[in-house]
Amino acid sequence: MDTNLIWLIVIVLGAAILFRGLRAGLQKRYPFFYCYIECLLLIEVLRFLCLSLTPTLYGAFYWQTELVRIIGSYAVIFEIFKRALRHNPGVARIAQQLLLVVFVVAFSYAASDLLHGGSGSVPRATADLGRYLLYVEGAVLFVMLWLFGHYRISFGGNLLGLTVGYSFVVALDVVNLAFLSTPGNESSIGLRKFIPITHLLTFIIWCASLWSSQPDPVPPAESAIDRDYTILAAKTKAALAHLSTRVERTLRS
Amino acid sequence: MSGLIPIVLLSTLILIFSGRLLVQWSRQSHAQVVTIEDYTEARAALDSVFAETAAIKRIFATDDMEFVSQEGVGDVQRFFLKERKRLAIQWVRMTQKQVAHLMDLHLKLASYTYEPSPRAEVKLTVTYLCFILASNGVLILLWLFGPFEAVRVVAYTVRAAEYFCSEVTRRLENIDPVRLGSARQPRSV
Repeated sequence: MDTNLIWLIVIVLGAAILFRGLRAGLQKRYPFFYCYIECLLLIEVLRFLCLSLTPTLYGAFYWQTELVRIIGSYAVIFEIFKRALRHNPGVARIAQQLLLVVFVVAFSYAASDLLHGGSGSVPRATADLGRYLLYVEGAVLFVMLWLFGHYRISFGGNLLGLTVGYSFVVALDVVNLAFLSTPGNESSIGLRKFIPITHLLTFIIWCASLWSSQPDPVPPAESAIDRDYTILAAKTKAALAHLSTRVERTLRS
Repeated sequence: MSGLIPIVLLSTLILIFSGRLLVQWSRQSHAQVVTIEDYTEARAALDSVFAETAAIKRIFATDDMEFVSQEGVGDVQRFFLKERKRLAIQWVRMTQKQVAHLMDLHLKLASYTYEPSPRAEVKLTVTYLCFILASNGVLILLWLFGPFEAVRVVAYTVRAAEYFCSEVTRRLENIDPVRLGSARQPRSV
């Protein structure tokens, strides 16, 4: 399929997501995500205008807008974090600390690599900065996904679609930019062709999952849960210890 | 090129974990909210695995095997062994399932607490992983040797581990700290 046609479909899907978000009242629930979609659409339109009017400036303009897009996508991470853990204050606290550590470590590593890399031109430096910010984002997203899985955090259909689509696009963008930055790497040329398809698939996921408002998981009643972790951990520990003793006794008899 | 490996790994892990989120969601979609009552029920269910202690001990007891060996013909012996092996494997799998359910509920409930302790979580996870490892080891032994031989191997391993631990403790007690002192002193140039 023609690349321009794919990008056109992506833009149409983006507009559909915005329209449906407005109709279903999802824009109020996920304001940062919808701002990000608006930002993406605006960037696509500006890129198209730049390519038509001043093609010589397109290279530099592309990487500058790419940097803006990557910085904007951090808002989506924040949105996912805020919405997913709003009923889990303890996990949110752990996640905040863990994510801060990951961010500082990844950012320091990326910054030192960027400073020692000696990027020749301004567009190249912008592209490198965008790439490193994307790596940091990937690391933060990975830790977040691990925490969600570990603590079996419940997701509503809308937030799940948003998270899965976002993870998909970040994972493939990270690989793509990494290959692209490797000089003389032939596979980056092939991968480049997949970018529009990746974005198309992501927009399809978002469009399907955010077409209508789906209920969020209901938090348990205060009386039905124990907020004291020490008691819960002690109970589980005792149950496991009791089990080990009984299994051992059974197998040794 | 080697710098690409961690990036590809990171990307793959993001995809795997988002897939895991999807699987988790598809399993949870029909489930009710987890409460402390579910947890209490899971603990009771885990205890019930051992409720018929005498019956469970019977699965691994050698008395029946000795009787069948003396009285029974080859086919009866084989059938008896097959049945006992099936029962033993079923029992271990049921225990594994109940423990996994308990851990699942524990993690869900822990996410609602105000201050979950990462250290306690790591300790519990390690204990759980050890259980998974040991129970799978027992399953392999049961599958390979049958319940009677497997129990012998387990009992021997536990006894050997205990002997090893007690031996190490005894030797540590016998070590003269004064003789170790010279080793700690810096070497003269």
